[in-house]
Order: sequence, then C-alpha cells, then structure tokens
Amino acid sequence: MNTAECIYLDYAATTPIDPRVADRMIECLKPTGAHGNPSSMSHSFGRSARALCEHARAQVAAAINASPQSIVWTSGATESDNLAIFGVAQFQADRGRHIVSAKTEHKAVLDALKQLEKLGFQVTLLKPTSNGIISADQVAEALRPETQLVSLMHVNNEIGVIQDVGAIGRLCRERGVAFHVDAAQSVGKVPIDVEAMQIDLLSMTAHKAYGPKGVGALYVRKKPPLGLRPLLFGGGQEGGLRSGTLPTHQLVGMGAAFEIAAAEREADVPRLQSLRERLWRGIQALGAVQLNGDPERRVANILNVSFHGVEGESLQFALRELAVSAGAACSTGSEEGSYVLRALGRDDQLAQSSLRFSLGRFTTEHDIDVAIAAVAREVNRLRDISKFSGRASA
Amino acid sequence: MSMSDEYSPLVIEHFERPRHVGNFAPGDDVIAGRAGRRDQGAEFAISARLSNERIAEARFEAYGCPHCVAAGSWLAESLVGADRERVQRWTWRDLADALEIPTAKRGRLLILEDAVRALAEDWHKRT
Repeated sequence: MNTAECIYLDYAATTPIDPRVADRMIECLKPTGAHGNPSSMSHSFGRSARALCEHARAQVAAAINASPQSIVWTSGATESDNLAIFGVAQFQADRGRHIVSAKTEHKAVLDALKQLEKLGFQVTLLKPTSNGIISADQVAEALRPETQLVSLMHVNNEIGVIQDVGAIGRLCRERGVAFHVDAAQSVGKVPIDVEAMQIDLLSMTAHKAYGPKGVGALYVRKKPPLGLRPLLFGGGQEGGLRSGTLPTHQLVGMGAAFEIAAAEREADVPRLQSLRERLWRGIQALGAVQLNGDPERRVANILNVSFHGVEGESLQFALRELAVSAGAACSTGSEEGSYVLRALGRDDQLAQSSLRFSLGRFTTEHDIDVAIAAVAREVNRLRDISKFSGRASA
Repeated sequence: MSMSDEYSPLVIEHFERPRHVGNFAPGDDVIAGRAGRRDQGAEFAISARLSNERIAEARFEAYGCPHCVAAGSWLAESLVGADRERVQRWTWRDLADALEIPTAKRGRLLILEDAVRALAEDWHKRT
C-alpha cells in the first residue's frame, strides 16, 4: 500500500480497500451486477439489489452483535454521529435538553453539539485524565435529571485510548439516558457487542475497516425502540430514518469489509500490537519522547508520540516520506497543537510536536524499520539544529 | 497540493541541508545574539567570528518551522563579509523575498531580526 516515495502509516485516517472487498464491489458494478433500485421490489432487478443490501446489513449487524433491523445505512460516521445526536436531542427535547460528552471527541460529535447549544441545549464536555480516560464515575457525576444523551467514542482516533463503554452503558441504562458511541475506529480492532455493552446508538464507517469511503451505518436500539428524528426527508427509506436510494455496491463493500474485519480480528490484533511495540521501542530509544494515551487501554494499531524539543511543522515536513498524521497545523503559522492532546494537559510544544502512527493490515516489519530510521535521523537532526548550547547574548 | 508546494525550493534546500549550524565558543573575536522562545514557535541564536571589523564566519541555531530553519541558514551564509553597519541595518525583508516566506510566517522573521539586533548590540559593546 506504499508508494515509491512514501510509507503508509495513516490507517486511522483511512484504510485502503481490501482487494477482497473491491472484488465484491466490482461485481456489483458490472452490467451483470445489481443496478436495480433496492426499493423497487416489483421486479427482479430491484429484488436482487435489495437482497445484496440486506445481506450486507446482516454482515454489519453481526460484527457488533446486533439484529439486522437495527442497522440504518448512512454516508459515514459523520452522518451517523449527526443522526444519533440531533436525532435523539430533537425527538426527546421535551424530556430534557442536557447532553454529556467529552473534550476529546471527534469533531463530528463536538461540532454537532455546538449546533445544539445554539438551539438552546446544554452540553457538558468531560475532561479526560492525562491518559485520555473518561471514567463511568465522571459520567455519573455529570448526569442531571434533564440529561437525555451521553455521547462518547469507543476508541479515540488520535491517541487510540479505549473507553470502558460497557461500564458507561450500564450506568446510562440504569439512569434511563440514551447512550451513543462513536465506534469509527473500533471495528476489526476491539470487540463490540451492543447488547452486552448496553449501547443505544453506535456510529460506524466502512473506510476505516478496509471498506469504501462514503458509506457508514448507525445502530439504533430496537428493544425497546428508541425514537429518532431523521436528518433527511424524502423517499422514507431505512424506516424513514434516512431517506435516499441505497448505494448497493457501497453497502456490499461495507458488509464484506466488516465480515472480514470481525473474522480476522483475533489474528490481526496481536500482529499489529507487536509491530506497534517494535515502532515504540525504536522511537523510545531516541529519548525525550512522550507516549500520548494510556499505555494499556489502547487500540493495537495507534501510536501517538510527542517529541520534546522538536518543532511540529518541521518534524512533519522532514518526515514527509512517511504518511502519518501530525499534531501541528502545517504552514498556517499557528502554534496550536491538537485539541485532543491539549485536553490531556500537554503543553503547546508537546501538543504541536506529536505524530500519530497508525498501522494496518498491510503494514510490514520493513515499513516499521524504515519509519524508525527516518524518525531517528530527522529528530536527531532537528534537535542538533536547535541545541542552543552557545551562550546567550548579554 | 503537496506539502512541498508550501515551501519554496530555496527553503527546502536550506531546511534539508542547513549551512553553518552551531555556535562559536565565546572569545574576544566572537559576538552572539539570541531571541525568541519555544512557546512563541521560534527561537534563534546567531554567533559570529570577527576579523578585520567584518564577520568572517557565522553560525546559527534555530527552533521553528522549516521557514525558520531555512531563514537561519540563509542568514548565516549571507552575514559572511558583513561589517557592523550592515548588521545594524539588517531587516527581514531581503530574506523574506529571497526565500519567498509566506505572510503568515513573517512574525517569526521579526524574531530573527531581534536576534540580529542582539548580535549588533554585542558587537557595539566590544568597540
């Protein structure tokens, strides 16, 4: 998945499509595939497309231990997050107008909540520990009689911290508060069981699990049914929750990707973890580096590191042979680093000089060794330029 | 747009192969100037060895973005041969033009200018 110039270590941003997934999508797109409208149940073209969509729905449902009827197709995790948050907030507005979430959530959640604040809702954003953890006790303290929704991510996209959504789900169920989980980073890496974890709404996306971009899903609890107000109005597809013609090939891709991700998770995770540890050992040897996130409760494929005494934009540019994500806002003249790292209490320099390495199905030991060598060379070089070992002027 | 498009070829060249990194040990013929802080996003130190009332050699250290590293390198190279008056009159503008520094980064060049001012003051004290 690399190019001649660049090693891809940005799987948390997006993954390449698994060739097995691409094959099934291409089958769909061929003249002999499934071009019918899945809503056209009166003829065989529509019915065969519908059958593919429903098979994909069952594949996605199985990956999170849900019933297929509880899966609503969307365009991705951003839409799923928006549908969950606006959907519950507006449907249940007469129950209360308070929502609990966290400072380290994805922008798709934070910015949706900002919009709700403008509509008169109150939002409490919890501050995580310096390792990025939000505890169930913190959530319990933030709940009010008028709280209608708690929205927390399962795996943080920047630092990979895994929240104890099971404990928080239990709490929310006891208190009768809807619980939404953004699980965009989880599938194929961390087990998800919406029943056992007592999750009411769960956002998913295909493109972070080797499926196509532009398709996602929202799990919506069926028993007892959870009321949602839709964002889109039209043909009434997806039980009226998400109007729009279903994109058969996209759904087939997401279904196949989730089936593979769930089936291969147990084999993938130890391999990714050992590659990540190899990378961390190599980087740690440089000294004056800081791991961001919890050392234990962390997804297998993400390593987020801050480098003391190295400026973020220079680090990012110097390492452009590696496709990684950086905390620095490149070339904008801004010294502000990642808002997630700042929420963890990192100072500006450390928040700004962070790199997120995210590994995936096609990452090799060789990729990791090349990355370690490049990071060592450039960090040492930039530190040498900024040693300031000379005397200051009087 | 690739990342490289945000930096001019000269910036990339100086960033990747900076000239004259380091500093001179204090001495009668050595002047030095320093400005900036890491939390401002840029810090520079310049030192120079004097000979016959001119800068014979200059060295720099820089913490900052690629533009800052390139600016330090370009400056150290261009200071060679300068007399005190030229150092006193130095402003960021020639450097900004030569390296095609974007407007958003000019604040950091003012920090470099402060370091050159400090260098000039150190020179002045010795005369």
